[in-house]
Amino acid sequence: MLLSLVSKRSLEVDSRDAYGFALRPQHVQRYQEYVSIYTEEETERAEKWQNFLDRQESVAEPCSSEEEFQDTFQADGSDSGEESASEEDSRNEKQDSGSSKLDGLEVQHLEKDSNETVGELSKEKEVAEEAHVLDEHQILRETSLGEKSESVKDEAEQSDTDKEKESSVESESDEEKQSQPVKEAIDLNHVEIQQENETEEPVPEAEKCGVDDEKTQKETKSRSVIEWAHIRPCLKSIEAMMCSRVKNVKYMQNKQQTIAGDHASSLASIEESEQNSMENDRDSETFTSRSHSIKEEHDAQSNVSPEPFFPWYEELEVLVRLGVPKDLRGEVWQAFVGVKARRVERYYQDLLAQITDSDESSSDVQRKWKKQIEKDIPRTFPGHPALNENGRDSLRRILLAYACHNPSVGYCQAMNFFAGLLLLLMPEENAFWTLVGIIDDYFDGYYTEEMIESQVDQLVFEELMRERFPKLVNHLDYLGVQVAWISGPWFLSIFVNIIPWECVLRMWDVLLFEGNRVVLFRTAFALMELYGPAIVATQDAGDAITSLQSLASSTFDSSQLVLTACMGYISTNEARLEELRKIHRPAVLEIVEERIQKGRVWKDKKGLASKLYSFKHEGSILDEQKPPQRTDGENPDDDESRSPNFSMNLDGANVDSEVDSLPDLQEQVVWMKVELCRLLEEKRSAVMRAEELEIALMEMVKEDNRLELSAKIEQLEKEVRELKQVLSDKKEQETAMLQVLMKVEQDQKLTEDARISAEQDAAAQRYAAHVLQEKNEKLVTQLAQMEKKLVTAETTLEATLQYESGQNKALSSPRFPRPAPESPKKKTGFLSFGLGWRDRNKAKQPEESNSINTSNATSEVKSPSKESKTEDLLNPETRR
Amino acid sequence: MQLVLLGDSGVGKSCIVLRFVRGQFDATSKVTVGASFLSQTIALQDSTTVKFEIWDTAGQERYSALAPLYYRGAGVAVIVYDITSPESFKKAQYWVKELQKHGSPDIVMALVGNKADLHEKREVPTEDGMELAEKNGMFFIETSAKTADNINQLFEEIGKRLPRPTPPS
Repeated sequence: MLLSLVSKRSLEVDSRDAYGFALRPQHVQRYQEYVSIYTEEETERAEKWQNFLDRQESVAEPCSSEEEFQDTFQADGSDSGEESASEEDSRNEKQDSGSSKLDGLEVQHLEKDSNETVGELSKEKEVAEEAHVLDEHQILRETSLGEKSESVKDEAEQSDTDKEKESSVESESDEEKQSQPVKEAIDLNHVEIQQENETEEPVPEAEKCGVDDEKTQKETKSRSVIEWAHIRPCLKSIEAMMCSRVKNVKYMQNKQQTIAGDHASSLASIEESEQNSMENDRDSETFTSRSHSIKEEHDAQSNVSPEPFFPWYEELEVLVRLGVPKDLRGEVWQAFVGVKARRVERYYQDLLAQITDSDESSSDVQRKWKKQIEKDIPRTFPGHPALNENGRDSLRRILLAYACHNPSVGYCQAMNFFAGLLLLLMPEENAFWTLVGIIDDYFDGYYTEEMIESQVDQLVFEELMRERFPKLVNHLDYLGVQVAWISGPWFLSIFVNIIPWECVLRMWDVLLFEGNRVVLFRTAFALMELYGPAIVATQDAGDAITSLQSLASSTFDSSQLVLTACMGYISTNEARLEELRKIHRPAVLEIVEERIQKGRVWKDKKGLASKLYSFKHEGSILDEQKPPQRTDGENPDDDESRSPNFSMNLDGANVDSEVDSLPDLQEQVVWMKVELCRLLEEKRSAVMRAEELEIALMEMVKEDNRLELSAKIEQLEKEVRELKQVLSDKKEQETAMLQVLMKVEQDQKLTEDARISAEQDAAAQRYAAHVLQEKNEKLVTQLAQMEKKLVTAETTLEATLQYESGQNKALSSPRFPRPAPESPKKKTGFLSFGLGWRDRNKAKQPEESNSINTSNATSEVKSPSKESKTEDLLNPETRR
Repeated sequence: MQLVLLGDSGVGKSCIVLRFVRGQFDATSKVTVGASFLSQTIALQDSTTVKFEIWDTAGQERYSALAPLYYRGAGVAVIVYDITSPESFKKAQYWVKELQKHGSPDIVMALVGNKADLHEKREVPTEDGMELAEKNGMFFIETSAKTADNINQLFEEIGKRLPRPTPPS
């Protein structure tokens, strides 16, 4: 959308083209020549598109002017007073003139300098356009970024140019603006803009404040950025068709974002419903048309391939190839990319918030991207009038948001140009989603860290080049120039900065329409076709590349280029490319993997080939410099100019042998010579071809070997890895074993300790036993002594007894009969003991018998115990 | 003679080439995508001429995946760093290693410290550059594409160091 900031007059001053891009000095002249052609084409295509869209609208989607209005207003948040007034006017006008007419072309114009009136020159084109647009108003959907120094002034233009002056005289007056009744029609729910003076919509404003922290200071001044705008309704059917092909992608995206977007989406739905109700109030027709479009979308979704469903697809394709009108381009591109289907409400704002929040906590990679983006922003279309400070802020936000959105890509140089280009054509958030569509979808895998798809495409392109332009490629091979050297940058930059802008944009029209990279190949082929002959004429690598570069950059005939590309190379289609990509991808993946794993360098067979070629040619150049170098005479002129030389030489050689031939045959001879010459040439080229084939063969053999070797190496490495794995496993086992051993040892030690202590115990016990033994022995000896003593005592007793008995006998012998039978018993060792015991027993017995008597009197139950007791008491005696 | 310029993003590779080939300096030059090509012929003192076919490569790290395409067949590699950025000097060391590993063995290498005009912001001492160059048998020079200091000298010196027998294409 920034493009609308650019004053057309300023463009013409400093050799910039209509898009504000710098022209190389050497191209200024040619550009001037083509400007009128461009204008003519533009007029023509504007008419055609108008026609097409009119029909679309009347057939597919009857759309009320009301809704259209609403949408245009949505794009219009920051308009100043006179703008609103003008809108009101035009609205009234419209209603007057009947609402069936469509003003598809909104001519946008903006003068940066409020003092500057509209330049006549810059108006010419618009006037021409106005002639075609039946009912137009000029709307500014500009992002007046309202800096103090640079008070951007909006200027609206009515169909009658008289009003121009009027409106330019009017200055912004906010009071006036607020009083405009039209204001109410502005749907701010969709246009997330911020206007200081407005208080009607506090919710989005508050949200915005949160989002753009970084810009707080600026917000104190009037800041109003249109971040999102819908495309005009007349493109809705196109949008619906294109959206149907991104449905799946979007569904996935939605799924991913449900967590982050939950809150946002609920808000969004509220807004949506609000909006709907507003619409209903105002105009019920709007609602029906909306539901109609929804239905159509739904239908489209159910259809797998959208193309056959839309009868006008082919017509649109033709129109796209003829170019999209400048003023529609931004919106048409969005429709093609399916921005509507891709967009997730508030996702972009959330990303931005995330960026500002995570300034410190961001990862290293993110910081790296940020640094790179910072480096690249001033180097993106340097000096472009629209990319001023604010434009660059937008650019920075988009790139940072994208890096955040898809970390697998992050930021890659070239994206800055794409984002910049998109920003020139549409509001910031729209540009973001378009970029998302292009990079995530159309160029999936292209700008990632390893750039795999880009490398694959280069291999595919080279193969196709060899197929289509064998002579050219042969010549490049001969010069030692690789096709990818040239085509690599072409593809990576999607031709931005490679060919003139008119061509870039026309190519992008087709690219975005088709939704794949086929047109890259086709355009590259077209360029090769256009400039191949010139390159074949060059004699060294530098000249070849330089001339191709400079020729490409002066391809001002955009129609020729695009039509050649699209019509001439129909056989190069997505299916074929996919097939070839599949073939080449493994090679790239292998190399990338190698690179990652071993830090090795990219070595493809092409490199080998070119080395071989250059080696071969370095040797052969000197030898072959005299004879024509080329193998199969791509350049007929050159061949002709060489042939006479050749025949002259032959003349000299053959004259002697032909001297005596008949003169009337001279003509025939000349013819023969020419023939011979031709044959020789053919033979030589055949020889050269043979040589080439030989080289190719060698190459293939080498390649084979290399492949084999690398396979072997890989296998060996695998084995090594496996062995290492095994080794490490073994080591692990060993350590485990060691641990177990240690444990066992410890256990052993413990048991040993236990054993020792047990032994000690045992020793102690033995000692105790010993001591006991000793005691026992002592006791035994004591016992023996005692026995002896007893014996002596017994004998003494006996002696005493005998003595006593002797005495008793002497006194009265019958009084002591008992001691005599007792005496043998006393001879046992225990006699003394027994005697003692018996004495005690004797003392007890009378006692017990007393107790028996008493107990018998009370109860007889005790008697058994008494008996046992008595038994017990008697037992020792019996035992003895 | 094919020459390839390598080095971190924003060190001034494109500016050096533009200064050398066109004699221009643009402080706000464009980001290089992929690579760009320019050629220039210079006359040496011994009245021979050398035609430099210069591939100016993109500086961002991921584009180094494509760099081999350009340096593989090159006879000269000019590794550029920015004397105000130690990071770019690190990157230069990486390129030296990369070329030693994968470049052609007899490639002539030059180490260039660019932006010498910003000496008050210098962060990489000249000695560091010299040391790195000496260690790797490179030719070292500090240049300024802005003031054109040493730019021509750089290419002349490279021309002198080229192996004689290779004639200018």
